[in-house]
Amino acid sequence: MSNISKPAGSRSVGKTVGSFLANNSVPIMFILICAVCIPLSGFSLDYLLNEIITRLGRNAFLILSLLIPIMAGMGLNFGMTLGAMAGEIALIFVSDWQIWGIPGVILAMIVSVPFSVLLGLFCGKIMNMAKGREMITSYIISFFINGVYQLIVLYMMGSVIPIAHSSIKLPRGYGIRNTVGLLNMRQCIDNLLAIRVGGVKIPALTLLIIVLMCLLIIWFRRTKLGQDMRAVGQDMQVARDAGIKVERTRIISIIISTVLAGFGMILYLQNIGNLSTYSAHSQVGMFCIAALLVGGASVDRASIGNVFLGVILFHLMFIVAPQAGAKITGDSMIGEYFRVFVSYGVITIALIMYEMKKRRQKANIGEQLALAQKEEVQHEQ
Amino acid sequence: MNNKRKWIIRGCSLLVILAIAALMFLVGRGHTVYIDNKTLEFNGQTADALQRVEVWVGGERLSKLAKRERTMSTVIGQNFEMKLISTINKGDEPTEEIVKISLPYGWDGIVVNVPGYLAGLPQEAWMTEFIAEPEPVTAEDEPELSEDEIPMGDF
Repeated sequence: MSNISKPAGSRSVGKTVGSFLANNSVPIMFILICAVCIPLSGFSLDYLLNEIITRLGRNAFLILSLLIPIMAGMGLNFGMTLGAMAGEIALIFVSDWQIWGIPGVILAMIVSVPFSVLLGLFCGKIMNMAKGREMITSYIISFFINGVYQLIVLYMMGSVIPIAHSSIKLPRGYGIRNTVGLLNMRQCIDNLLAIRVGGVKIPALTLLIIVLMCLLIIWFRRTKLGQDMRAVGQDMQVARDAGIKVERTRIISIIISTVLAGFGMILYLQNIGNLSTYSAHSQVGMFCIAALLVGGASVDRASIGNVFLGVILFHLMFIVAPQAGAKITGDSMIGEYFRVFVSYGVITIALIMYEMKKRRQKANIGEQLALAQKEEVQHEQ
Repeated sequence: MNNKRKWIIRGCSLLVILAIAALMFLVGRGHTVYIDNKTLEFNGQTADALQRVEVWVGGERLSKLAKRERTMSTVIGQNFEMKLISTINKGDEPTEEIVKISLPYGWDGIVVNVPGYLAGLPQEAWMTEFIAEPEPVTAEDEPELSEDEIPMGDF
Protein backbone atom coordinates (compact mmCIF):
# COMPACT_ATOMS: atom_id res chain seq x y z
CA MET A 1 0.00 0.00 0.00
CA SER A 2 2.73 2.39 1.09
CA ASN A 3 4.72 1.43 -2.00
CA ILE A 4 1.90 2.61 -4.20
CA SER A 5 1.13 5.81 -2.27
CA LYS A 6 4.73 6.99 -2.03
CA PRO A 7 5.37 7.60 -5.73
CA ALA A 8 1.91 9.16 -6.03
CA GLY A 9 2.72 11.49 -3.11
CA SER A 10 6.12 12.46 -4.48
CA ARG A 11 4.50 13.01 -7.88
CA SER A 12 1.94 15.32 -6.30
CA VAL A 13 4.72 17.17 -4.42
CA GLY A 14 6.62 17.49 -7.67
CA LYS A 15 3.50 18.74 -9.38
CA THR A 16 2.90 21.28 -6.60
CA VAL A 17 6.51 22.51 -6.75
CA GLY A 18 6.28 22.65 -10.54
CA SER A 19 3.09 24.65 -10.51
CA PHE A 20 4.49 26.94 -7.78
CA LEU A 21 7.56 27.62 -9.91
CA ALA A 22 5.45 28.15 -13.02
CA ASN A 23 3.06 30.52 -11.24
CA ASN A 24 5.84 32.51 -9.57
CA SER A 25 8.47 32.40 -12.29
CA VAL A 26 8.70 36.20 -12.59
CA PRO A 27 9.25 36.98 -8.86
CA ILE A 28 11.69 34.07 -8.58
CA MET A 29 13.63 35.38 -11.57
CA PHE A 30 13.80 38.83 -9.97
CA ILE A 31 14.86 37.42 -6.60
CA LEU A 32 17.73 35.67 -8.40
CA ILE A 33 18.69 38.84 -10.31
CA CYS A 34 18.67 40.86 -7.06
CA ALA A 35 20.63 38.15 -5.24
CA VAL A 36 23.35 38.41 -7.87
CA CYS A 37 23.30 42.21 -8.21
CA ILE A 38 23.20 43.22 -4.51
CA PRO A 39 26.71 41.97 -3.62
CA LEU A 40 28.05 43.30 -6.92
CA SER A 41 26.59 46.78 -6.32
CA GLY A 42 28.43 47.13 -3.00
CA PHE A 43 25.60 49.10 -1.38
CA SER A 44 25.21 48.84 2.40
CA LEU A 45 22.12 47.25 3.93
CA ASP A 46 21.15 50.60 5.53
CA TYR A 47 21.28 52.35 2.17
CA LEU A 48 19.23 49.66 0.45
CA LEU A 49 16.63 49.62 3.24
CA ASN A 50 16.36 53.41 3.14
CA GLU A 51 15.87 53.41 -0.61
CA ILE A 52 13.36 50.56 -0.57
CA ILE A 53 11.25 52.14 2.16
CA THR A 54 11.31 55.52 0.38
CA ARG A 55 10.26 53.92 -2.90
CA LEU A 56 7.63 51.82 -1.16
CA GLY A 57 6.04 55.00 0.22
CA ARG A 58 6.39 56.73 -3.13
CA ASN A 59 4.97 54.02 -5.41
CA ALA A 60 2.77 51.60 -3.47
CA PHE A 61 -0.34 53.81 -3.57
CA LEU A 62 -0.08 54.20 -7.34
CA ILE A 63 0.23 50.43 -7.82
CA LEU A 64 -2.67 49.74 -5.46
CA SER A 65 -4.85 51.74 -7.85
CA LEU A 66 -4.40 48.96 -10.42
CA LEU A 67 -6.04 46.27 -8.31
CA ILE A 68 -9.70 47.21 -8.74
CA PRO A 69 -9.86 47.05 -12.57
CA ILE A 70 -8.11 43.66 -12.42
CA MET A 71 -10.81 42.55 -9.99
CA ALA A 72 -13.45 43.68 -12.50
CA GLY A 73 -11.77 41.65 -15.25
CA MET A 74 -10.50 44.69 -17.15
CA GLY A 75 -6.85 43.72 -16.98
CA LEU A 76 -3.96 46.05 -16.35
CA ASN A 77 -5.27 49.60 -16.43
CA PHE A 78 -2.82 51.53 -18.59
CA GLY A 79 -5.40 54.32 -18.26
CA MET A 80 -4.08 55.06 -14.78
CA THR A 81 -1.95 57.64 -16.58
CA LEU A 82 -5.17 59.67 -16.87
CA GLY A 83 -5.41 59.83 -13.10
CA ALA A 84 -1.75 60.81 -12.93
CA MET A 85 -2.45 63.70 -15.32
CA ALA A 86 -5.43 64.78 -13.19
CA GLY A 87 -3.17 64.78 -10.14
CA GLU A 88 -0.59 66.88 -11.98
CA ILE A 89 -3.17 69.45 -13.10
CA ALA A 90 -4.37 69.70 -9.50
CA LEU A 91 -0.79 70.22 -8.31
CA ILE A 92 -0.25 72.97 -10.89
CA PHE A 93 -3.33 74.80 -9.58
CA VAL A 94 -2.35 74.35 -5.96
CA SER A 95 1.17 75.62 -6.71
CA ASP A 96 -0.32 78.64 -8.42
CA TRP A 97 -2.60 79.32 -5.44
CA GLN A 98 0.46 78.99 -3.16
CA ILE A 99 -1.07 76.43 -0.83
CA TRP A 100 1.85 74.71 0.85
CA GLY A 101 2.56 71.70 3.00
CA ILE A 102 -0.01 69.07 3.97
CA PRO A 103 -2.97 71.43 3.27
CA GLY A 104 -1.58 71.73 -0.27
CA VAL A 105 -1.46 67.96 -0.69
CA ILE A 106 -5.01 67.54 0.66
CA LEU A 107 -6.33 70.36 -1.54
CA ALA A 108 -4.58 68.90 -4.59
CA MET A 109 -6.25 65.54 -3.88
CA ILE A 110 -9.67 67.19 -3.63
CA VAL A 111 -9.11 69.24 -6.80
CA SER A 112 -7.92 66.16 -8.71
CA VAL A 113 -11.14 64.22 -8.02
CA PRO A 114 -13.45 65.92 -10.58
CA PHE A 115 -10.78 65.64 -13.29
CA SER A 116 -10.13 61.99 -12.44
CA VAL A 117 -13.84 61.16 -12.36
CA LEU A 118 -14.44 62.75 -15.77
CA LEU A 119 -11.42 61.06 -17.31
CA GLY A 120 -12.30 57.73 -15.69
CA LEU A 121 -15.87 57.99 -16.98
CA PHE A 122 -14.59 58.69 -20.48
CA CYS A 123 -12.06 55.86 -20.32
CA GLY A 124 -14.61 53.42 -18.85
CA LYS A 125 -17.19 54.21 -21.54
CA ILE A 126 -14.69 53.63 -24.31
CA MET A 127 -13.45 50.44 -22.68
CA ASN A 128 -17.02 49.17 -22.58
CA MET A 129 -17.11 49.62 -26.33
CA ALA A 130 -13.93 47.58 -26.66
CA LYS A 131 -14.61 44.65 -24.37
CA GLY A 132 -11.84 42.07 -24.44
CA ARG A 133 -9.34 44.64 -25.68
CA GLU A 134 -9.28 46.85 -22.59
CA MET A 135 -5.52 47.01 -22.16
CA ILE A 136 -4.59 48.20 -25.62
CA THR A 137 -7.60 50.54 -25.58
CA SER A 138 -6.58 52.12 -22.28
CA TYR A 139 -3.00 52.38 -23.51
CA ILE A 140 -4.05 54.31 -26.60
CA ILE A 141 -6.52 56.44 -24.61
CA SER A 142 -3.62 57.49 -22.38
CA PHE A 143 -1.74 58.72 -25.47
CA PHE A 144 -4.82 60.59 -26.67
CA ILE A 145 -5.45 62.25 -23.30
CA ASN A 146 -1.75 63.06 -23.10
CA GLY A 147 -2.25 65.17 -26.22
CA VAL A 148 -5.23 66.94 -24.65
CA TYR A 149 -3.20 67.47 -21.47
CA GLN A 150 -0.36 69.04 -23.47
CA LEU A 151 -2.86 71.32 -25.20
CA ILE A 152 -4.35 72.46 -21.90
CA VAL A 153 -1.08 72.88 -20.04
CA LEU A 154 0.94 74.34 -22.87
CA TYR A 155 -1.60 76.66 -24.49
CA MET A 156 -4.69 77.09 -22.32
CA MET A 157 -3.14 77.60 -18.90
CA GLY A 158 -2.34 81.26 -18.52
CA SER A 159 -4.43 82.30 -21.51
CA VAL A 160 -7.87 80.74 -20.95
CA ILE A 161 -7.32 79.21 -17.52
CA PRO A 162 -6.02 81.84 -15.08
CA ILE A 163 -2.50 81.17 -13.83
CA ALA A 164 -1.08 84.07 -11.85
CA HIS A 165 2.32 82.94 -10.66
CA SER A 166 5.22 83.85 -12.86
CA SER A 167 7.37 81.12 -11.30
CA ILE A 168 5.29 78.41 -12.95
CA LYS A 169 4.14 80.29 -16.06
CA LEU A 170 6.26 80.55 -19.19
CA PRO A 171 7.60 84.08 -19.78
CA ARG A 172 5.58 84.39 -22.99
CA GLY A 173 2.50 84.72 -20.76
CA TYR A 174 0.82 81.38 -21.23
CA GLY A 175 1.78 77.74 -20.76
CA ILE A 176 3.46 76.07 -17.82
CA ARG A 177 7.21 75.73 -17.39
CA ASN A 178 8.91 72.40 -17.93
CA THR A 179 9.40 71.97 -14.19
CA VAL A 180 7.09 73.14 -11.44
CA GLY A 181 8.82 73.28 -8.07
CA LEU A 182 6.98 71.60 -5.22
CA LEU A 183 9.64 72.45 -2.65
CA ASN A 184 7.08 73.86 -0.25
CA MET A 185 5.29 70.55 -0.02
CA ARG A 186 8.31 68.31 -0.58
CA GLN A 187 8.10 65.22 1.64
CA CYS A 188 5.67 67.01 3.97
CA ILE A 189 3.74 63.77 4.47
CA ASP A 190 6.87 61.61 4.58
CA ASN A 191 8.51 63.77 7.22
CA LEU A 192 5.49 64.07 9.49
CA LEU A 193 5.67 61.28 12.10
CA ALA A 194 8.82 59.93 10.45
CA ILE A 195 10.70 57.44 12.62
CA ARG A 196 14.44 56.79 12.48
CA VAL A 197 15.53 53.23 13.19
CA GLY A 198 19.32 53.04 13.03
CA GLY A 199 20.15 54.84 9.83
CA VAL A 200 16.81 54.07 8.22
CA LYS A 201 14.08 56.70 7.91
CA ILE A 202 10.59 55.25 8.04
CA PRO A 203 7.88 57.60 6.69
CA ALA A 204 5.27 56.37 9.16
CA LEU A 205 2.39 58.58 7.97
CA THR A 206 2.86 57.63 4.30
CA LEU A 207 3.02 53.94 5.21
CA LEU A 208 -0.06 54.38 7.41
CA ILE A 209 -1.94 55.91 4.44
CA ILE A 210 -0.89 52.92 2.32
CA VAL A 211 -2.01 50.45 5.00
CA LEU A 212 -5.37 52.26 5.23
CA MET A 213 -5.67 52.02 1.46
CA CYS A 214 -5.01 48.27 1.64
CA LEU A 215 -7.67 47.88 4.34
CA LEU A 216 -10.07 49.91 2.19
CA ILE A 217 -9.47 47.58 -0.75
CA ILE A 218 -10.01 44.51 1.46
CA TRP A 219 -13.23 46.03 2.78
CA PHE A 220 -14.31 47.06 -0.71
CA ARG A 221 -13.98 43.48 -1.99
CA ARG A 222 -16.59 42.42 0.55
CA THR A 223 -19.11 45.10 -0.33
CA LYS A 224 -21.97 44.53 -2.77
CA LEU A 225 -20.15 46.57 -5.41
CA GLY A 226 -16.91 44.65 -4.83
CA GLN A 227 -18.73 41.32 -5.16
CA ASP A 228 -20.38 42.59 -8.35
CA MET A 229 -16.99 43.51 -9.75
CA ARG A 230 -15.62 40.06 -9.00
CA ALA A 231 -18.65 38.48 -10.63
CA VAL A 232 -18.20 40.69 -13.70
CA GLY A 233 -14.51 39.81 -13.75
CA GLN A 234 -15.25 36.09 -13.73
CA ASP A 235 -17.97 36.02 -16.36
CA MET A 236 -19.76 39.03 -17.76
CA GLN A 237 -22.64 37.05 -19.20
CA VAL A 238 -23.35 35.20 -15.97
CA ALA A 239 -23.10 38.50 -14.04
CA ARG A 240 -25.55 40.13 -16.45
CA ASP A 241 -27.97 37.19 -16.07
CA ALA A 242 -27.69 37.61 -12.30
CA GLY A 243 -28.98 41.18 -12.65
CA ILE A 244 -25.67 43.01 -12.28
CA LYS A 245 -25.32 46.14 -14.39
CA VAL A 246 -22.09 45.03 -16.04
CA GLU A 247 -21.26 48.21 -17.96
CA ARG A 248 -21.94 50.46 -14.98
CA THR A 249 -19.84 48.26 -12.68
CA ARG A 250 -16.93 48.33 -15.12
CA ILE A 251 -17.11 52.12 -15.44
CA ILE A 252 -17.15 52.51 -11.64
CA SER A 253 -14.06 50.30 -11.33
CA ILE A 254 -12.17 52.47 -13.82
CA ILE A 255 -13.33 55.68 -12.13
CA ILE A 256 -12.14 54.40 -8.73
CA SER A 257 -8.82 53.36 -10.25
CA THR A 258 -8.35 56.75 -11.93
CA VAL A 259 -9.17 58.68 -8.76
CA LEU A 260 -6.75 56.54 -6.74
CA ALA A 261 -4.08 56.97 -9.40
CA GLY A 262 -4.54 60.74 -9.09
CA PHE A 263 -4.03 60.54 -5.31
CA GLY A 264 -1.08 58.21 -5.83
CA MET A 265 0.55 60.61 -8.26
CA ILE A 266 0.20 63.48 -5.77
CA LEU A 267 1.82 61.36 -3.04
CA TYR A 268 4.55 60.37 -5.51
CA LEU A 269 5.28 63.96 -6.53
CA GLN A 270 5.26 65.32 -2.95
CA ASN A 271 8.02 62.82 -2.29
CA ILE A 272 10.02 63.81 -5.37
CA GLY A 273 9.56 67.56 -4.72
CA ASN A 274 9.13 68.75 -8.29
CA LEU A 275 6.84 68.13 -11.19
CA SER A 276 8.12 67.54 -14.72
CA THR A 277 5.05 69.05 -16.32
CA TYR A 278 5.23 67.31 -19.69
CA SER A 279 6.74 63.94 -18.84
CA ALA A 280 6.09 62.97 -15.19
CA HIS A 281 3.06 60.86 -16.09
CA SER A 282 4.36 59.29 -19.28
CA GLN A 283 6.14 56.29 -17.76
CA VAL A 284 4.14 55.98 -14.55
CA GLY A 285 1.65 53.45 -15.90
CA MET A 286 4.37 51.33 -17.45
CA PHE A 287 6.53 51.15 -14.32
CA CYS A 288 3.59 50.55 -11.97
CA ILE A 289 2.28 47.73 -14.13
CA ALA A 290 5.76 46.24 -14.44
CA ALA A 291 6.19 46.38 -10.65
CA LEU A 292 2.84 44.68 -10.09
CA LEU A 293 3.74 41.91 -12.55
CA VAL A 294 7.16 41.46 -10.97
CA GLY A 295 5.31 40.90 -7.69
CA GLY A 296 3.67 37.83 -9.22
CA ALA A 297 0.40 39.31 -10.43
CA SER A 298 -1.09 38.47 -13.78
CA VAL A 299 -3.57 40.14 -16.10
CA ASP A 300 -6.53 38.54 -14.34
CA ARG A 301 -5.24 38.05 -10.80
CA ALA A 302 -3.53 40.47 -8.43
CA SER A 303 -3.37 40.87 -4.69
CA ILE A 304 -2.07 43.38 -2.17
CA GLY A 305 0.86 41.03 -1.51
CA ASN A 306 1.83 41.26 -5.20
CA VAL A 307 1.96 45.06 -4.85
CA PHE A 308 4.43 45.03 -1.97
CA LEU A 309 6.59 42.20 -3.29
CA GLY A 310 6.58 43.91 -6.69
CA VAL A 311 7.65 47.32 -5.35
CA ILE A 312 10.43 45.75 -3.29
CA LEU A 313 11.83 43.51 -6.04
CA PHE A 314 11.37 45.90 -8.96
CA HIS A 315 12.87 48.88 -7.17
CA LEU A 316 15.62 46.83 -5.59
CA MET A 317 16.61 45.94 -9.13
CA PHE A 318 16.31 49.63 -10.11
CA ILE A 319 18.69 50.61 -7.31
CA VAL A 320 21.33 47.94 -7.73
CA ALA A 321 21.31 47.37 -11.50
CA PRO A 322 23.28 50.50 -12.55
CA GLN A 323 26.04 49.87 -10.00
CA ALA A 324 26.13 46.14 -10.72
CA GLY A 325 26.23 46.92 -14.45
CA ALA A 326 29.11 49.33 -13.86
CA LYS A 327 31.00 46.67 -11.86
CA ILE A 328 30.48 43.95 -14.47
CA THR A 329 30.98 45.91 -17.68
CA GLY A 330 32.57 49.15 -16.50
CA ASP A 331 29.63 51.13 -17.85
CA SER A 332 26.68 52.09 -15.61
CA MET A 333 24.50 52.75 -18.67
CA ILE A 334 24.29 48.98 -19.17
CA GLY A 335 22.43 48.78 -15.86
CA GLU A 336 20.13 51.61 -16.98
CA TYR A 337 19.36 49.85 -20.24
CA PHE A 338 18.88 46.63 -18.34
CA ARG A 339 16.22 48.00 -16.05
CA VAL A 340 14.25 49.60 -18.87
CA PHE A 341 14.54 46.44 -20.93
CA VAL A 342 13.36 44.38 -17.94
CA SER A 343 10.36 46.67 -17.36
CA TYR A 344 9.07 46.22 -20.88
CA GLY A 345 10.17 42.58 -20.98
CA VAL A 346 8.26 41.60 -17.88
CA ILE A 347 5.05 43.16 -19.23
CA THR A 348 5.52 41.30 -22.51
CA ILE A 349 6.13 38.00 -20.71
CA ALA A 350 3.06 38.53 -18.52
CA LEU A 351 0.88 39.23 -21.56
CA ILE A 352 2.20 36.19 -23.43
CA MET A 353 1.70 33.97 -20.37
CA TYR A 354 -1.83 35.27 -19.93
CA GLU A 355 -2.68 34.60 -23.56
CA MET A 356 -1.14 31.12 -23.39
CA LYS A 357 -3.07 30.33 -20.22
CA LYS A 358 -6.29 31.50 -21.83
CA ARG A 359 -5.70 29.35 -24.90
CA ARG A 360 -4.76 26.34 -22.78
CA GLN A 361 -7.95 26.77 -20.75
CA LYS A 362 -9.99 27.02 -23.93
CA ALA A 363 -8.28 23.92 -25.33
CA ASN A 364 -8.94 22.02 -22.07
CA ILE A 365 -12.60 22.99 -22.13
CA GLY A 366 -12.77 21.89 -25.77
CA GLU A 367 -11.14 18.56 -24.94
CA GLN A 368 -13.50 17.99 -22.02
CA LEU A 369 -16.49 18.78 -24.21
CA ALA A 370 -15.26 16.41 -26.90
CA LEU A 371 -14.76 13.65 -24.28
CA ALA A 372 -18.21 14.24 -22.83
CA GLN A 373 -19.77 14.06 -26.30
CA LYS A 374 -17.85 10.87 -27.07
CA GLU A 375 -19.03 9.26 -23.84
CA GLU A 376 -22.59 10.31 -24.61
CA VAL A 377 -22.43 8.75 -28.05
CA GLN A 378 -20.99 5.53 -26.57
CA HIS A 379 -23.78 5.41 -23.97
CA GLU A 380 -26.41 5.85 -26.67
CA GLN A 381 -24.90 2.98 -28.72
CA MET B 1 -37.82 58.28 0.32
CA ASN B 2 -34.78 56.01 0.23
CA ASN B 3 -33.62 57.74 -2.94
CA LYS B 4 -34.11 61.15 -1.32
CA ARG B 5 -32.03 60.08 1.68
CA LYS B 6 -29.29 58.85 -0.64
CA TRP B 7 -29.12 62.22 -2.39
CA ILE B 8 -29.11 64.09 0.92
CA ILE B 9 -26.15 61.98 2.10
CA ARG B 10 -24.34 62.62 -1.20
CA GLY B 11 -25.01 66.36 -0.99
CA CYS B 12 -23.79 66.50 2.62
CA SER B 13 -20.62 64.57 1.70
CA LEU B 14 -19.96 67.01 -1.13
CA LEU B 15 -20.46 69.96 1.22
CA VAL B 16 -18.06 68.45 3.76
CA ILE B 17 -15.41 67.96 1.03
CA LEU B 18 -15.89 71.54 -0.17
CA ALA B 19 -15.60 72.78 3.43
CA ILE B 20 -12.33 70.85 3.84
CA ALA B 21 -11.04 72.36 0.57
CA ALA B 22 -11.96 75.87 1.77
CA LEU B 23 -10.25 75.21 5.10
CA MET B 24 -7.10 74.03 3.30
CA PHE B 25 -7.18 77.25 1.26
CA LEU B 26 -7.15 79.26 4.46
CA VAL B 27 -4.71 77.34 6.61
CA GLY B 28 -2.35 76.29 3.83
CA ARG B 29 -1.63 79.66 2.23
CA GLY B 30 2.13 80.01 2.08
CA HIS B 31 4.05 83.26 2.35
CA THR B 32 7.68 84.19 2.15
CA VAL B 33 8.57 86.81 4.73
CA TYR B 34 11.65 88.93 4.08
CA ILE B 35 13.00 90.56 7.20
CA ASP B 36 14.98 93.73 6.56
CA ASN B 37 17.35 95.71 8.72
CA LYS B 38 17.45 98.80 6.52
CA THR B 39 16.89 102.48 7.24
CA LEU B 40 13.28 103.41 6.51
CA GLU B 41 11.88 106.80 5.67
CA PHE B 42 8.15 107.37 5.86
CA ASN B 43 6.29 110.69 5.77
CA GLY B 44 9.33 112.61 6.97
CA GLN B 45 10.07 110.16 9.80
CA THR B 46 13.28 108.11 9.69
CA ALA B 47 13.86 104.76 11.38
CA ASP B 48 17.60 104.06 11.31
CA ALA B 49 18.94 100.59 10.71
CA LEU B 50 19.90 98.75 13.90
CA GLN B 51 23.48 97.90 14.78
CA ARG B 52 22.61 94.21 14.94
CA VAL B 53 19.44 92.17 15.12
CA GLU B 54 19.03 88.46 15.74
CA VAL B 55 15.94 86.92 14.17
CA TRP B 56 14.48 83.78 15.73
CA VAL B 57 11.61 81.89 14.10
CA GLY B 58 10.06 78.73 15.54
CA GLY B 59 12.69 78.45 18.27
CA GLU B 60 15.58 78.51 15.80
CA ARG B 61 17.91 81.38 15.04
CA LEU B 62 17.26 82.36 11.48
CA SER B 63 19.94 84.97 11.07
CA LYS B 64 21.97 87.72 12.69
CA LEU B 65 21.47 90.84 10.61
CA ALA B 66 23.92 93.71 10.37
CA LYS B 67 22.91 97.06 8.86
CA ARG B 68 21.39 96.84 5.36
CA GLU B 69 21.02 93.05 5.54
CA ARG B 70 18.00 90.90 4.84
CA THR B 71 16.91 87.38 5.74
CA MET B 72 13.87 85.36 4.81
CA SER B 73 11.53 82.80 6.27
CA THR B 74 8.60 80.84 4.93
CA VAL B 75 5.32 80.50 6.77
CA ILE B 76 2.11 78.58 6.18
CA GLY B 77 -1.01 80.44 7.31
CA GLN B 78 -1.64 84.11 8.04
CA ASN B 79 0.05 84.36 11.43
CA PHE B 80 3.76 84.97 11.65
CA GLU B 81 5.66 85.09 14.90
CA MET B 82 9.32 85.89 15.39
CA LYS B 83 11.62 86.88 18.21
CA LEU B 84 13.93 89.85 17.65
CA ILE B 85 17.01 90.42 19.80
CA SER B 86 18.14 93.84 18.71
CA THR B 87 21.11 96.06 19.51
CA ILE B 88 20.24 99.62 18.50
CA ASN B 89 23.72 101.17 18.75
CA LYS B 90 27.17 99.73 19.25
CA GLY B 91 27.73 98.90 22.94
CA ASP B 92 24.00 98.97 23.85
CA GLU B 93 22.38 96.13 25.78
CA PRO B 94 20.38 93.92 23.40
CA THR B 95 16.62 94.04 23.85
CA GLU B 96 14.27 91.16 23.13
CA GLU B 97 10.85 91.43 21.57
CA ILE B 98 8.29 88.93 20.34
CA VAL B 99 6.66 90.13 17.12
CA LYS B 100 3.31 88.76 15.99
CA ILE B 101 2.18 89.80 12.53
CA SER B 102 -1.00 89.02 10.67
CA LEU B 103 -0.06 88.53 7.03
CA PRO B 104 -2.31 89.64 4.14
CA TYR B 105 -3.76 86.60 2.35
CA GLY B 106 -3.13 87.88 -1.15
CA TRP B 107 0.57 88.64 -0.78
CA ASP B 108 3.04 85.89 -1.65
CA GLY B 109 6.14 87.74 -0.52
CA ILE B 110 6.08 90.21 2.35
CA VAL B 111 8.87 92.56 3.40
CA VAL B 112 8.98 93.41 7.10
CA ASN B 113 11.25 96.30 7.99
CA VAL B 114 12.50 95.74 11.55
CA PRO B 115 13.67 99.33 12.31
CA GLY B 116 10.34 100.70 11.09
CA TYR B 117 8.41 98.20 13.21
CA LEU B 118 10.45 98.90 16.33
CA ALA B 119 10.16 102.67 15.79
CA GLY B 120 6.38 102.33 15.92
CA LEU B 121 5.72 103.47 12.37
CA PRO B 122 2.33 102.56 10.86
CA GLN B 123 1.95 99.08 9.36
CA GLU B 124 1.87 100.30 5.76
CA ALA B 125 5.37 101.69 6.32
CA TRP B 126 7.11 98.61 7.68
CA MET B 127 5.11 95.92 5.85
CA THR B 128 5.13 95.96 2.05
CA GLU B 129 4.54 93.45 -0.69
CA PHE B 130 7.61 91.88 -2.21
CA ILE B 131 7.37 91.74 -5.97
CA ALA B 132 10.00 89.52 -7.49
CA GLU B 133 11.63 90.43 -10.76
CA PRO B 134 10.69 87.99 -13.51
CA GLU B 135 13.11 85.09 -13.55
CA PRO B 136 15.32 84.82 -16.59
CA VAL B 137 14.29 81.99 -18.88
CA THR B 138 16.69 79.12 -19.19
CA ALA B 139 16.59 76.34 -21.74
CA GLU B 140 15.36 74.01 -19.00
CA ASP B 141 12.28 76.14 -18.37
CA GLU B 142 11.01 75.95 -21.90
CA PRO B 143 9.19 72.77 -22.84
CA GLU B 144 11.01 70.76 -25.46
CA LEU B 145 9.14 71.53 -28.63
CA SER B 146 9.41 69.86 -31.95
CA GLU B 147 9.23 71.84 -35.16
CA ASP B 148 5.48 72.07 -35.03
CA GLU B 149 5.65 73.29 -31.38
CA ILE B 150 3.99 70.22 -29.91
CA PRO B 151 5.98 68.23 -27.33
CA MET B 152 6.05 64.75 -28.80
CA GLY B 153 8.84 63.24 -26.69
CA ASP B 154 6.93 60.10 -25.80
CA PHE B 155 5.53 59.34 -29.20
